[in-house]
Amino acid sequence: MMMQATLEKPALAERVAQFLYREAVLADEHRYNEWEALWAQDDVLYWVPMRPDADPTREVSYIYDNRARLASRIRQLNTGMRHAQAPQSGLRRIISNIEIEPGEGDEVVTRSNFILMESRRGVQFLWAGRTTHVLAPEGDSFRIRRKTINLVEANEPIGTLAFLI
Amino acid sequence: MATAATLPPAIDYRHLVQDGRLHGSLYTDPEIFAQEMEAIFHRGWSFVAHDSEVPNNGDFVVRKVGTQSLIVVRDSKGEIRIHYNRCSHRGAVLCQTSSGHRSRLTCPYHAWTFALDGRLIGVPDEEAYPAGFSKADAGLAPVARVDSYGGFIFVNLVPNGYSLRDHLGKATDLIDGLLGLSPVGRIQLNAGWMKHKMRSNWKIIVENQVDGYHAQMVHGSLLKANQTFATVRDRKPTSPTRVQDFGMGHTDIDHTSDYLKANDRLFRWTGGIDPARLPNYVKAMQDAYGEEDARRRLIGGPPHSMLFPNLSLAEMNIMVIEPVSPTASIQYTCPVFLEGADELNARTLRRCEGALGPAGFLIADDAEIGELTQMGVANLEPEWINLSRGMDTEEVLPNGVKRAGLMDETSQRGFWRHYREVMSASDHAMGRENG
Repeated sequence: MMMQATLEKPALAERVAQFLYREAVLADEHRYNEWEALWAQDDVLYWVPMRPDADPTREVSYIYDNRARLASRIRQLNTGMRHAQAPQSGLRRIISNIEIEPGEGDEVVTRSNFILMESRRGVQFLWAGRTTHVLAPEGDSFRIRRKTINLVEANEPIGTLAFLI
Repeated sequence: MATAATLPPAIDYRHLVQDGRLHGSLYTDPEIFAQEMEAIFHRGWSFVAHDSEVPNNGDFVVRKVGTQSLIVVRDSKGEIRIHYNRCSHRGAVLCQTSSGHRSRLTCPYHAWTFALDGRLIGVPDEEAYPAGFSKADAGLAPVARVDSYGGFIFVNLVPNGYSLRDHLGKATDLIDGLLGLSPVGRIQLNAGWMKHKMRSNWKIIVENQVDGYHAQMVHGSLLKANQTFATVRDRKPTSPTRVQDFGMGHTDIDHTSDYLKANDRLFRWTGGIDPARLPNYVKAMQDAYGEEDARRRLIGGPPHSMLFPNLSLAEMNIMVIEPVSPTASIQYTCPVFLEGADELNARTLRRCEGALGPAGFLIADDAEIGELTQMGVANLEPEWINLSRGMDTEEVLPNGVKRAGLMDETSQRGFWRHYREVMSASDHAMGRENG
């Protein structure tokens, strides 16, 4: 019975994938407040290092946001006067190659690849990388505790990164 | 006389760069860009690396100066050597990565091997070379001149002309001001460099580094979202902060005098950290310089300067501008770690990431405005760019430094006046400037 099948609780892998896809849509569509609401309330990290095994206590990162700084980032975008995103970039990303493993306590760690096309004033930019999420279960969904984005081009010159990656 | 008919007329920089206006082609013309690489970057002094980036013998970084890729390496005796990144045999580049550690430099093509000081020490099957061949004649090519100040290493690719000290002129005070925030007078640039692709001419970035006029408009979103990134006491046209032109193209926004005159609180330049949170640093500064002088240093803070042509002492960050083409540049950004100030360094790192680089709350927007400027100047009319703000109200100090209001374009005019001298000097070996 089809009806019965849809009511069954999806497997963890499927719930994780749906969550990652949901986050991607909110970032792609610049739905800043909804995207921010996916994060845990405190003790979070949104990190874009310049190399995979970087030590963020002594090496500079492109982004190293705790909760307060993430909130500043969203507030700045919400002013509508953040020139680097006014006009906003056209964005769509593909999330794939998802791997899942248990984290600390009830946390779930996911690793996934992305390819992101950015379009701005008629010029296309390609972004790609592998993202690690540390997710805290909440009901049937999750909150993001930590998101680390290892860009393929992390150690090369990169373009302006004012959208949500 | 075929030459007069076939050669294009020489570019007249004294016409293109006037006292209160500039010609738009300075940002777009490929011929001007090629001449700049030669006259400014190859035949003048430019920043290449800091000695703390290669702390150990065998450490190297690869840097671009003008059109040239250079290897900056500390040799086995601890001396800094700068070689062109080119094998003396058939020309392949020797170092492909931007930094690393080597005991010798081996070419990937035929394994010619060089000591770090550039001597050729290994040639496979050397006996097949003719009798006149000598390894002693086939070392790596060193750059013509290397000199340093305060750990900042500069190169000049021609042997003759004015010295680094002549080039830096009064700007050594700016470097001293930065180093003087360390209780031992030294900085470390070892946190890595953010690398930002800017789609604008390198001079647009130079001008913006010391522009006191744009902040309210370009950075309005940040001022609204997070005030702690605002170090300037007052951004209104009546602000007591001054912009300065030191001569030789070196310019500055002088927050320090403003903070000192106002007898402002300590550490405004950090975004206003409570001194109680930096007890060891404050104590080390007092021990090193005495209580009164330490207080003066900790109120005054670092310079906000642009040293001609590519080095910006951007408060607690070093920013370097690398021209790529008339319409593209790379901006490099590294936080300044002060030796003897670990408590502050951890905060400097986080503050650098927040404000600067491709995702920074400030620089992402500066990059955007630079790109819009680049797009705009491609349109041919009205042809001239206006750079006259505050021209009639500049003050000239006894030492020749020009000062004007925070929002005046004295700093940009200082850059361009020197640019005009360098670009129109026929032998490009000038050190004279009358302002």
